[in-house]
Formats: sequence, C-alpha cells, structure tokens
Amino acid sequence: MNDTQIIKILASIIAQSAPLMLAVTGETITERGGVINLSLDGTMLLSAMTGFVVALQSNLMLEGMGITGNMLPVLLGFAAAALVGILAALLIAWGSIRLRQDQVAIGFVLTLLLADMANFLGQNHTRIPGPSVAYMPIPLLKDIPALGPMFFSHNLAIYFAFLVVGLAWWWTYKTQPGLRLRGVGDRPESAFARGIKVNRLRYIYTAIGGALVGIAGATYSLSIKLGWSDNHILGIGWIALAIVIFGGWHPVRGAFGAILYGATKALATVLQQAFPEVPVVLFNSLQWLLMLGVLLLAGSKGLQRLVDIVPRPLQRPLARSLRVAAPQSLGKVFVEE
Amino acid sequence: MQKRHTLYTAMLALAVILLLSACQQADAPATTEPAPTEEVTEAPVMTEEPTEEPTAEVTEEMPEELIFGMVLVGPKNDHGWSQAHFEAGQYVEQNIEGAKMIVFESLNSADKPEATLEGVVSDMVDQGATLIITTSDEFEEDTTTVAGLHPDVTFINASGDDTWDQRQDTTVSPPANLGNVMGRMEYMKAVAGCSAALATETGSVAYLGPLINHETLRLASSAYLGARYCYENYRGEDPDSLTFTVTWIGFWFNIPGVTLDPTEVTNQFFDSGADVVISGIDTTEGIVVASQRAEKGERVFAVPYDYQGACDTAPDICLGVPFFNWGPAYLDIAQSLQDGTWEQSFDWLGPDWPDLTNKDTSHVGWVDGPGLLEEWKTNLDAFISGQADGSINVWTGPINLQDGTEYVAEGAVATDPEIWYLPQLLEGMIGASE
Repeated sequence: MNDTQIIKILASIIAQSAPLMLAVTGETITERGGVINLSLDGTMLLSAMTGFVVALQSNLMLEGMGITGNMLPVLLGFAAAALVGILAALLIAWGSIRLRQDQVAIGFVLTLLLADMANFLGQNHTRIPGPSVAYMPIPLLKDIPALGPMFFSHNLAIYFAFLVVGLAWWWTYKTQPGLRLRGVGDRPESAFARGIKVNRLRYIYTAIGGALVGIAGATYSLSIKLGWSDNHILGIGWIALAIVIFGGWHPVRGAFGAILYGATKALATVLQQAFPEVPVVLFNSLQWLLMLGVLLLAGSKGLQRLVDIVPRPLQRPLARSLRVAAPQSLGKVFVEE
Repeated sequence: MQKRHTLYTAMLALAVILLLSACQQADAPATTEPAPTEEVTEAPVMTEEPTEEPTAEVTEEMPEELIFGMVLVGPKNDHGWSQAHFEAGQYVEQNIEGAKMIVFESLNSADKPEATLEGVVSDMVDQGATLIITTSDEFEEDTTTVAGLHPDVTFINASGDDTWDQRQDTTVSPPANLGNVMGRMEYMKAVAGCSAALATETGSVAYLGPLINHETLRLASSAYLGARYCYENYRGEDPDSLTFTVTWIGFWFNIPGVTLDPTEVTNQFFDSGADVVISGIDTTEGIVVASQRAEKGERVFAVPYDYQGACDTAPDICLGVPFFNWGPAYLDIAQSLQDGTWEQSFDWLGPDWPDLTNKDTSHVGWVDGPGLLEEWKTNLDAFISGQADGSINVWTGPINLQDGTEYVAEGAVATDPEIWYLPQLLEGMIGASE
C-alpha cells in the first residue's frame, strides 16, 4: 500500500465518520444540559429516511417547474431531517420536564417506534437513486499535500460536521451561555438560584441536540450511504450514545471517538486482507473491544499510572483530557419551585 | 395533577397505537400478496392445461387453489437476492390460476431476532400453504428440520444441498417432502469477472463478499477465474499480475455493529487502487459507492448482483449484472405439485445461453450495463459464447487452492461437487478463506 492509498483511506475514514460526529455532538449538547435522548437510533433512521424522501420529492417537483440542481432539494431534505430530530427530542424533553417521566423509558420506546415508522413510511422509496450532497473540494486547500485530500476534498456536509464540533466546543467551554449549559446539567439548583430558567434551557439544548442528530441521519442518506433502505443505519444511534460516554461528554473527544470508531472499522478491513487465516468475525468486533478497553481504563487506577508516566508539566492536561465525568444531574428531573 | 396524568395517558396510548400500527405494517409477518395484473400476457398461461387431461372429470373441476409461502432473508424490495425471489413468486402467481403467495420478509437474527423459521412456517401452514420456499442457505438446516414436522407440506430450500445425492454431509437424511434448487451462477460470475478484467486500468479488481461458505467461495472464485481468462486472452496481460481482492463483510447485507459496512469496504477498495468492484452481497452498496466516486471524477466501475434491474441505481458506471431468475424453477415445482408429479430433487439449473434474459427459460442470466464500452462488449460476448458452446471452461485445471494445494489437475475439468464444495479461495486471490 503506497502513501497515496493510505491518504485516501484516511480521507474516507474522516468522511464516513462525519455523520457520527454530528450525532455524538448533538447528544453531547443534550446530555450536557441534563437530558438523555435515548431515541437516537430511531431518530436517525427516521431523519435519514425523511431527509432522502424530501430531497427526492422536492427535486422531482422542482424539475417539473423547470428548476434543476441538487442544492435546494438537498437543503430541504436536511431541514426536514432536522425538524424530525427536534420533534423527537422535544417529545423526550416534554415527557421528562413537563410530565416528570423517566427519560430513559420514553427514549427507549420512542427509538423503537421511530425505527419502525422509518421502515414503514419509507418502504416505497427503498434503494432508488436520488439527489445527494455535491462533491465540493475547497480550492487551494485541497492541494496541500496529505492534508488537502484528507480534510478539504469532501462535500459541504462533511465540512459542516467539523464546523459543528468546533462550535460546540467553543460554545460549551468558552462562552457564558456555555457555562450556563453546563450549569443546568451539573448543578441545576445553583443555576436556578442564580436566576437561570433551567427547564427552558433544557428544552432549547435538547432541541438543538435533536436537530444535529436529525442532520446526522440525513448526512447518511444524502452523503454517505446514499438513498434509503430498510433499517438503513440501524444501530448507529446506539453507537453514537456509546461514543458520547467514551468521549466523556466533550465534543472534541466525542468527535475523536467517532473517527477512532471509523478507523477501527477500516482497520478491520485491512487486517482481514493481511491475515486471511484469522476468522473475519474477530476483526469485525475490534471497535467494541477497543471501546470497552478504553472505558475500563478510564474508570480504573491504570489511567493514573498512565498519567504518571508522562512528564510532569503534561500530567494535569492529560489527566483532565482523559477524565470521564458525566454531568452530575444527567437524567434527573428538576422542579423549578 | 389530574390533567397532567390524563395527558400522559393519552400520549402513551397514542404512542402504543402508532407503534402497533407501524409494526403491523412494516413487519407484515405473513401477508398474502395480490397477484399483479401486469405482464400476464408475456408468460405462458396454464389455464388450458386441464383440457389436456385424459378424463372429463378433471376438466370440469375448478383449478385447485395453490397457496405457497415465500420466506425471505431480506426485504422484498432490496433490489437484490430477496427481491429476485419475491418476483419469482409473483411469476408463479401470474402463471397458475388461483395461486397465492404468502410472504415473510427479513427473517434474520438482526431484523427479527424473535422470529424462527419454525414459527413462520407454522403460520403459513395455518394459512393453507402447501408449498413453502425458504430462500437462503441460512435456512437450510432449519428447513430440513421443519420439513420433518410438516410431512404434508412440500419444502424447497434455495441454495441448499441436503437432497443432493453427491452431498458432502452424508449424515443428513432429508425428508421426502424437501427439495433443493440453485442456479448455476458460476457461469455468470465468470462473466462478471471477465467484464471487470476488460474494464480495469489499474489491474486491480475487488470483490465485495458476504459471509464465507461454499457458495460464496465458489462464486468469488468463478469471478476470479473469469477475470484471469479475459485479462490474459483479450487484454494480452499476464493473469498473475491481476490483483483480485476479496473482503467479506460478515453477512449477506449490512448489519451495523455486526458486519463490516459495505459502503466503507467499497470505499476502501477504491482507496487501495481497485477500479472495479464486483458485488457478492444482497444489496447495492457497491454500485452506490462507485457512483459517488465517479461523481468525484474517478474512473471506477461496478458489477452489482442478484437482481436484473440493479444497474438502474447508477447506469453509467455499471458494467452489467449477473442475476438469478427463480421464476421458471418455482413455476415447475408448483405445477408438478398441482398435477401430483413432484418428486424430491436437487436442481442446479443453468442459463438459457442463446437468450440469457429470457424470464421463462433462463435460470440465471447476465445483462450488459450501460457502462460497458462497445470494445469490451465484443470480447465479453465472445467469452459468453465460448462458455455456451463449451470451448471456454474457466474451471479447467491447473487450479490451485489459496494454500497452494493442487485442486484441479492440468487439463482436467472440475466436477460439480468440486465446484460446489470449493473449500478455499484460489491461489492468487487476496482475502480470507475462513
């Protein structure tokens, strides 16, 4: 395998990790606010289907009106998918905040419902070609050796995912509203005492997170796994939920986890060819072994030993970056009174 | 508080109703498909058959209703393996008056972990099915077991070999009401391999494999042998310089978190230098990814699988499709059951060479894709003609297994059992064999 091929593989890993990064970032924002949206799998399936069908139908309609080009239909598809994500997320927030019911239970039932709805509603649009996000390499940047093909030779959906991760990090850790977001997820009582409308913020961030999850679903059907089929991306939502924990509820670490997940899957393909004598099933489970290993390591004394090995000035930042701590009020109902 | 409670109850009830209705519609555990009215004129209609019977008594009888079950491993609209079977069932409905198909889709542990073949078959028998076709090697073992439980029902397992008198596993005692049917896809996979060898510029062809078993090993290997033949004889290249990589995703279609993702695998094929991907899985990811890469300006091609219309997904980069046409085989079985002549058999059915796309006669076929250039087509047609008249047989030795063991001696031709039970990939192929 030569350098060009390795760069191409890395570029593919990055592109294919983008929707997972979006979903992980969306859920990280939601959970940072204290709400668990467990409906990710169903939401992503329904939004993938909705995004594709809306793009397909609007494209046909616009063509009938003499308007050609994929851009508008694809944008409409993403908008519809975001709306699906928002509605699902708000249903969970409403059930939790207003009705004071168990978020996990609502989310679990909802994910089953939405997955079946996606298959049912999308059955007439299975495996047919439709519009997709156009390839859009960035002039000049795409020509940078190695980095150009890896990061700047994709489409807008992929660039958007990276932008969202950066924005989420900046918003969460570098702004006052971000501080309030973390406050309502960690110590809602204190936040409320300081005059923050905890539940209103939770609605808002749950909706924003849901929108990103919806966009992630549509990124699959309009950019990565083009079109719609039964159970098109079934299971990806659960993977995203696992990566949120793996990422320690941090947008950048979550994005790293998504790319790592993609890389282990790519590695499984490479290893299958390199070691034909090893049963292929083993390589397919690589990503789970890796995640399990990291999660166990993060919760054990082994992590401290790892930190102790590095030079002293690096110990604090490394320990901080590896720390896994859930928002303290995650999943807990807060009564404003 | 009371108001909130009522609201919650209403919401929960709505959710349950929606869930149940969606499940009913989407899963459709066993629905009777109405016979399509289209295309009836294209196929031979069997209504005249009773008049050929010797006695007047028979001609006066109303045609007996035939209810048959079709158990699919994937959805009926997968544009692949399962859809080909489903459409074959429709073909039977069109050609036998009163025939009705009961379909059960997506019987696999990922989609319906709670469902078993035994349960599905019981439901179908309760609905009056007298013939049940199970359409995957995944069902082979269970079909043999279930057939023993329902001796009055005839079972056909597609791609299994339990009833073959040359079967490898002689410990199996197939019940008398079980039959097997399979198409000789080896020929068409060789055509697929040939088309890839004609089109490749990088000298690297990739094969998107499902799981590893005898069937998939022999089909991938047939594609390889076809590719080698054409690379050498039509391109004038050294066949040993052709790179042929097989990656197995782990199942017949993508199951996130369980299998390798065929979208990612196909991307990796192209990233690693392959410019033609031949699909061996039930679904269309190979051609979809190829179309994405072509849109980026890459010169790549795809050969999808299973379903005649698979090229429609991305015609411009499609070299052609090897496909199954189960209709004639199922029609024969259904007719022989109706007239009482059915006997247990293992049918490994070939193409109608002069007319590979004839839906009434050819059990397997090949259709050229729009991406196949005219210059390649000439050679491909010659290859097909050579296979038809026997002057080309890619399974002619010397053929070695991947580990170097001689499998077919120089000048010898592989026997049917040798082809069916191929134990490994062949020497020269890159990929896992177990």
